[in-house]
Amino acid sequence: MINTLPERRKPLNRIFLMKKSLILLAALPCVALANVPIMGTVESKCVIQTDTTGVYGNPSPSELSTSGTAGGVQPIVRYDILAADHYKAVISYPNSFSSSPELPDVVNWTGGVTVGQTSDAGMSAFEAAKIEYNNTVEFDLTIAGSVWFDVDSTADYGYDKSFPAGDYTAMVLAECIAQ
Amino acid sequence: MYRSVIALLLLLGEYASAHQFTPTYPTLRQAHVSGVMLLNMSLFNNRKEIEWYSINIFDKDWNSLAFASTDKLINLGYLERKNIEVYIRTRDKDRIVYVCSKSKTLATVKNPSIITSRICSKVKNEVFNSNNLTTG
Repeated sequence: MINTLPERRKPLNRIFLMKKSLILLAALPCVALANVPIMGTVESKCVIQTDTTGVYGNPSPSELSTSGTAGGVQPIVRYDILAADHYKAVISYPNSFSSSPELPDVVNWTGGVTVGQTSDAGMSAFEAAKIEYNNTVEFDLTIAGSVWFDVDSTADYGYDKSFPAGDYTAMVLAECIAQ
Repeated sequence: MYRSVIALLLLLGEYASAHQFTPTYPTLRQAHVSGVMLLNMSLFNNRKEIEWYSINIFDKDWNSLAFASTDKLINLGYLERKNIEVYIRTRDKDRIVYVCSKSKTLATVKNPSIITSRICSKVKNEVFNSNNLTTG
Protein backbone atom coordinates (compact mmCIF):
# COMPACT_ATOMS: atom_id res chain seq x y z
CA MET A 1 0.00 0.00 0.00
CA ILE A 2 1.37 3.30 -0.98
CA ASN A 3 0.52 6.26 1.21
CA THR A 4 0.35 9.44 -0.78
CA LEU A 5 1.54 12.54 1.02
CA PRO A 6 -0.82 15.55 1.03
CA GLU A 7 0.06 17.98 -1.61
CA ARG A 8 1.93 20.94 -0.19
CA ARG A 9 0.40 24.32 -0.71
CA LYS A 10 2.02 26.38 -3.29
CA PRO A 11 3.80 29.53 -1.98
CA LEU A 12 1.38 31.76 -3.96
CA ASN A 13 -1.65 30.23 -2.18
CA ARG A 14 -0.06 30.78 1.23
CA ILE A 15 0.49 34.48 0.52
CA PHE A 16 -3.13 34.80 -0.59
CA LEU A 17 -4.38 33.17 2.67
CA MET A 18 -2.18 35.44 4.78
CA LYS A 19 -3.55 38.51 2.99
CA LYS A 20 -7.11 37.34 3.68
CA SER A 21 -6.41 36.93 7.40
CA LEU A 22 -4.84 40.40 7.53
CA ILE A 23 -7.88 41.96 5.85
CA LEU A 24 -10.20 40.15 8.32
CA LEU A 25 -8.07 41.32 11.25
CA ALA A 26 -8.12 44.90 10.02
CA ALA A 27 -11.90 44.77 9.57
CA LEU A 28 -12.50 43.67 13.19
CA PRO A 29 -12.35 47.11 14.87
CA CYS A 30 -14.73 48.50 12.22
CA VAL A 31 -17.25 45.80 13.08
CA ALA A 32 -16.93 46.65 16.78
CA LEU A 33 -17.42 50.40 16.16
CA ALA A 34 -20.50 49.75 14.08
CA ASN A 35 -22.25 48.34 17.16
CA VAL A 36 -21.79 51.42 19.37
CA PRO A 37 -25.24 52.91 19.91
CA ILE A 38 -25.91 56.64 19.71
CA MET A 39 -28.27 57.58 22.48
CA GLY A 40 -30.25 60.72 23.06
CA THR A 41 -33.03 61.78 25.38
CA VAL A 42 -35.59 64.43 24.72
CA GLU A 43 -37.25 65.50 27.93
CA SER A 44 -39.19 68.49 29.10
CA LYS A 45 -36.93 70.83 30.97
CA CYS A 46 -36.49 74.44 31.91
CA VAL A 47 -33.13 76.15 31.64
CA ILE A 48 -32.45 79.42 33.46
CA GLN A 49 -29.71 81.53 31.98
CA THR A 50 -28.43 84.76 33.42
CA ASP A 51 -28.18 86.90 30.32
CA THR A 52 -27.10 90.12 32.08
CA THR A 53 -26.32 90.56 35.75
CA GLY A 54 -27.61 94.01 36.64
CA VAL A 55 -25.80 97.02 38.00
CA TYR A 56 -27.27 99.71 40.23
CA GLY A 57 -26.87 103.25 39.03
CA ASN A 58 -26.80 106.05 41.60
CA PRO A 59 -28.70 108.96 39.98
CA SER A 60 -29.16 110.74 43.30
CA PRO A 61 -27.56 110.22 46.75
CA SER A 62 -30.76 108.62 48.06
CA GLU A 63 -31.49 106.31 45.13
CA LEU A 64 -30.06 103.16 43.60
CA SER A 65 -31.70 101.99 40.38
CA THR A 66 -31.09 99.46 37.61
CA SER A 67 -32.87 101.74 35.12
CA GLY A 68 -30.81 102.77 32.10
CA THR A 69 -31.78 106.42 32.58
CA ALA A 70 -30.39 106.25 36.13
CA GLY A 71 -27.06 104.95 34.86
CA GLY A 72 -27.80 101.38 35.83
CA VAL A 73 -28.00 98.11 33.91
CA GLN A 74 -31.16 95.98 33.97
CA PRO A 75 -30.70 92.36 34.98
CA ILE A 76 -31.98 90.08 32.21
CA VAL A 77 -32.85 86.42 32.74
CA ARG A 78 -33.45 84.03 29.87
CA TYR A 79 -35.69 80.99 30.17
CA ASP A 80 -35.41 78.15 27.66
CA ILE A 81 -38.49 75.93 27.65
CA LEU A 82 -38.40 72.63 25.79
CA ALA A 83 -42.06 71.72 26.17
CA ALA A 84 -45.02 74.05 26.66
CA ASP A 85 -47.29 73.98 29.72
CA HIS A 86 -44.84 72.14 31.98
CA TYR A 87 -43.33 75.06 33.90
CA LYS A 88 -44.08 78.49 35.26
CA ALA A 89 -41.49 81.22 35.67
CA VAL A 90 -41.50 82.97 39.04
CA ILE A 91 -39.22 86.00 39.26
CA SER A 92 -38.72 88.09 42.40
CA TYR A 93 -37.03 91.48 42.34
CA PRO A 94 -35.06 92.46 45.46
CA ASN A 95 -36.73 93.73 48.64
CA SER A 96 -33.56 93.90 50.73
CA PHE A 97 -29.80 94.12 50.28
CA SER A 98 -27.92 90.88 50.70
CA SER A 99 -24.86 92.91 51.66
CA SER A 100 -24.46 96.62 52.30
CA PRO A 101 -22.98 99.08 54.75
CA GLU A 102 -25.00 99.59 57.94
CA LEU A 103 -28.33 101.28 57.11
CA PRO A 104 -30.07 102.71 60.19
CA ASP A 105 -33.01 104.11 58.17
CA VAL A 106 -35.68 102.38 56.06
CA VAL A 107 -35.11 101.42 52.41
CA ASN A 108 -38.18 101.62 50.16
CA TRP A 109 -38.07 99.05 47.39
CA THR A 110 -39.90 99.13 44.08
CA GLY A 111 -39.44 97.01 40.99
CA GLY A 112 -41.01 95.00 38.25
CA VAL A 113 -40.50 92.23 35.73
CA THR A 114 -41.46 92.52 32.06
CA VAL A 115 -41.25 90.23 29.04
CA GLY A 116 -38.38 91.35 26.82
CA GLN A 117 -37.25 89.48 23.71
CA THR A 118 -39.02 86.28 22.69
CA SER A 119 -38.27 83.51 20.21
CA ASP A 120 -41.98 83.18 19.40
CA ALA A 121 -44.30 86.12 18.71
CA GLY A 122 -47.07 84.46 20.74
CA MET A 123 -44.96 84.78 23.88
CA SER A 124 -45.86 88.47 24.14
CA ALA A 125 -49.11 87.17 25.68
CA PHE A 126 -47.07 86.16 28.76
CA GLU A 127 -46.97 89.84 29.73
CA ALA A 128 -50.77 90.27 29.76
CA ALA A 129 -51.31 87.03 31.69
CA LYS A 130 -48.68 87.65 34.38
CA ILE A 131 -49.64 87.50 38.04
CA GLU A 132 -48.02 89.95 40.48
CA TYR A 133 -47.89 89.78 44.26
CA ASN A 134 -45.49 91.31 46.80
CA ASN A 135 -42.17 91.55 44.97
CA THR A 136 -42.88 88.50 42.81
CA VAL A 137 -44.17 88.08 39.26
CA GLU A 138 -45.40 84.77 37.82
CA PHE A 139 -45.57 83.82 34.15
CA ASP A 140 -47.19 80.66 32.77
CA LEU A 141 -44.81 79.28 30.17
CA THR A 142 -47.48 78.08 27.77
CA ILE A 143 -45.31 78.25 24.64
CA ALA A 144 -42.04 76.40 24.08
CA GLY A 145 -38.97 78.44 23.15
CA SER A 146 -36.80 81.14 24.69
CA VAL A 147 -38.01 84.21 26.53
CA TRP A 148 -36.01 87.02 28.11
CA PHE A 149 -37.33 88.75 31.24
CA ASP A 150 -36.15 92.28 32.13
CA VAL A 151 -36.03 93.05 35.85
CA ASP A 152 -36.31 96.55 37.32
CA SER A 153 -35.20 97.37 40.83
CA THR A 154 -35.05 100.69 42.67
CA ALA A 155 -34.06 101.35 46.28
CA ASP A 156 -34.92 104.70 47.93
CA TYR A 157 -33.25 105.43 51.23
CA GLY A 158 -35.07 107.13 54.09
CA TYR A 159 -36.54 110.56 53.39
CA ASP A 160 -34.05 111.97 50.87
CA LYS A 161 -31.16 110.59 52.91
CA SER A 162 -27.86 109.74 51.29
CA PHE A 163 -26.85 106.09 51.03
CA PRO A 164 -23.63 105.54 53.02
CA ALA A 165 -20.61 104.89 50.80
CA GLY A 166 -19.78 101.23 50.22
CA ASP A 167 -20.69 98.13 48.20
CA TYR A 168 -24.34 97.17 47.81
CA THR A 169 -25.54 93.78 46.63
CA ALA A 170 -29.13 92.68 46.03
CA MET A 171 -30.52 89.38 44.73
CA VAL A 172 -32.95 88.68 41.91
CA LEU A 173 -34.54 85.24 42.34
CA ALA A 174 -35.42 83.49 39.07
CA GLU A 175 -37.40 80.29 39.55
CA CYS A 176 -38.79 77.66 37.24
CA ILE A 177 -41.51 75.58 38.91
CA ALA A 178 -42.87 72.40 37.32
CA GLN A 179 -46.69 72.43 37.02
CA MET B 1 -23.62 76.41 3.93
CA TYR B 2 -20.63 77.10 6.22
CA ARG B 3 -22.51 80.04 7.70
CA SER B 4 -25.51 77.86 8.61
CA VAL B 5 -23.25 75.22 10.16
CA ILE B 6 -21.45 77.86 12.25
CA ALA B 7 -24.79 79.39 13.29
CA LEU B 8 -26.11 75.95 14.25
CA LEU B 9 -22.99 75.20 16.29
CA LEU B 10 -23.28 78.55 18.05
CA LEU B 11 -26.95 77.92 18.79
CA LEU B 12 -26.24 74.43 20.13
CA GLY B 13 -23.41 75.77 22.25
CA GLU B 14 -25.63 78.48 23.64
CA TYR B 15 -28.53 76.14 24.18
CA ALA B 16 -26.79 73.80 26.61
CA SER B 17 -26.27 76.54 29.15
CA ALA B 18 -27.03 77.76 32.63
CA HIS B 19 -28.73 75.92 35.43
CA GLN B 20 -30.55 72.67 34.59
CA PHE B 21 -32.29 70.28 36.95
CA THR B 22 -33.91 67.18 35.50
CA PRO B 23 -36.15 65.20 35.25
CA THR B 24 -39.16 67.51 35.33
CA TYR B 25 -41.37 64.79 36.80
CA PRO B 26 -39.20 62.37 38.82
CA THR B 27 -40.67 59.13 40.13
CA LEU B 28 -40.16 57.71 43.61
CA ARG B 29 -38.54 54.28 43.80
CA GLN B 30 -38.11 51.95 46.71
CA ALA B 31 -34.60 52.30 48.13
CA HIS B 32 -32.55 49.28 49.17
CA VAL B 33 -33.42 50.11 52.80
CA SER B 34 -37.00 49.49 53.94
CA GLY B 35 -38.99 52.58 54.95
CA VAL B 36 -36.97 54.79 52.61
CA MET B 37 -37.74 55.90 49.06
CA LEU B 38 -35.36 57.23 46.46
CA LEU B 39 -35.41 59.98 43.82
CA ASN B 40 -32.75 60.25 41.12
CA MET B 41 -32.04 63.77 39.93
CA SER B 42 -29.46 65.33 37.66
CA LEU B 43 -27.96 68.81 38.07
CA PHE B 44 -25.97 70.66 35.42
CA ASN B 45 -24.10 73.92 35.97
CA ASN B 46 -23.20 76.25 33.15
CA ARG B 47 -23.13 79.38 35.27
CA LYS B 48 -19.52 80.54 35.50
CA GLU B 49 -20.15 82.68 38.58
CA ILE B 50 -21.87 79.89 40.55
CA GLU B 51 -20.11 76.94 42.18
CA TRP B 52 -22.60 75.85 44.82
CA TYR B 53 -26.16 74.53 44.69
CA SER B 54 -28.50 73.41 47.45
CA ILE B 55 -31.23 70.76 47.30
CA ASN B 56 -34.58 71.11 49.08
CA ILE B 57 -37.81 69.17 49.22
CA PHE B 58 -41.28 70.63 49.80
CA ASP B 59 -44.91 69.56 50.11
CA LYS B 60 -47.75 71.16 48.10
CA ASP B 61 -47.85 74.15 50.50
CA TRP B 62 -44.09 74.68 50.24
CA ASN B 63 -43.38 73.34 53.73
CA SER B 64 -39.93 71.84 53.92
CA LEU B 65 -39.71 68.04 54.26
CA ALA B 66 -36.94 65.98 55.82
CA PHE B 67 -34.65 64.18 53.39
CA ALA B 68 -31.18 62.72 53.12
CA SER B 69 -28.74 63.04 50.27
CA THR B 70 -25.08 62.47 49.63
CA ASP B 71 -24.71 66.25 49.47
CA LYS B 72 -27.28 68.84 50.54
CA LEU B 73 -24.90 71.57 49.45
CA ILE B 74 -23.35 70.59 46.14
CA ASN B 75 -20.07 71.90 44.84
CA LEU B 76 -20.44 71.89 41.07
CA GLY B 77 -17.81 73.34 38.77
CA TYR B 78 -18.52 75.15 35.51
CA LEU B 79 -19.93 72.74 32.89
CA GLU B 80 -20.12 69.92 35.43
CA ARG B 81 -23.04 67.52 35.76
CA LYS B 82 -23.86 65.56 38.88
CA ASN B 83 -26.37 62.77 39.49
CA ILE B 84 -27.96 63.16 42.90
CA GLU B 85 -29.76 60.54 44.96
CA VAL B 86 -32.36 61.99 47.32
CA TYR B 87 -33.81 59.75 50.03
CA ILE B 88 -37.11 60.45 51.77
CA ARG B 89 -39.12 58.53 54.37
CA THR B 90 -41.78 56.24 52.90
CA ARG B 91 -44.35 57.87 55.18
CA ASP B 92 -43.70 61.18 53.34
CA LYS B 93 -44.19 59.69 49.87
CA ASP B 94 -47.70 61.15 49.52
CA ARG B 95 -46.64 64.56 50.86
CA ILE B 96 -43.63 65.26 48.68
CA VAL B 97 -44.43 67.48 45.70
CA TYR B 98 -41.45 69.69 44.84
CA VAL B 99 -37.75 68.83 44.59
CA CYS B 100 -35.74 72.01 44.08
CA SER B 101 -32.16 72.99 43.36
CA LYS B 102 -31.08 76.55 44.10
CA SER B 103 -27.88 78.35 43.22
CA LYS B 104 -25.85 79.67 46.16
CA THR B 105 -23.65 82.73 46.00
CA LEU B 106 -20.56 83.17 48.11
CA ALA B 107 -20.50 86.21 50.38
CA THR B 108 -17.24 87.23 48.76
CA VAL B 109 -18.97 87.85 45.40
CA LYS B 110 -19.27 91.62 45.04
CA ASN B 111 -21.59 91.90 42.03
CA PRO B 112 -24.03 94.76 42.59
CA SER B 113 -26.91 92.55 41.47
CA ILE B 114 -26.87 88.79 41.58
CA ILE B 115 -29.34 86.44 39.98
CA THR B 116 -30.20 83.40 42.07
CA SER B 117 -31.77 80.60 40.07
CA ARG B 118 -34.04 77.91 41.44
CA ILE B 119 -35.56 75.04 39.44
CA CYS B 120 -38.22 72.81 40.98
CA SER B 121 -39.30 69.44 39.64
CA LYS B 122 -42.65 67.99 40.59
CA VAL B 123 -43.21 64.51 41.97
CA LYS B 124 -46.48 63.20 40.62
CA ASN B 125 -47.46 61.07 43.60
CA GLU B 126 -50.83 59.60 44.59
CA VAL B 127 -52.03 62.89 46.15
CA PHE B 128 -51.26 64.80 42.94
CA ASN B 129 -52.99 62.18 40.79
CA SER B 130 -56.08 61.97 43.02
CA ASN B 131 -56.35 65.80 43.05
CA ASN B 132 -56.13 65.83 39.28
CA LEU B 133 -58.85 63.20 39.02
CA THR B 134 -61.20 65.18 41.25
CA THR B 135 -60.55 68.48 39.47
CA GLY B 136 -60.46 66.95 35.98
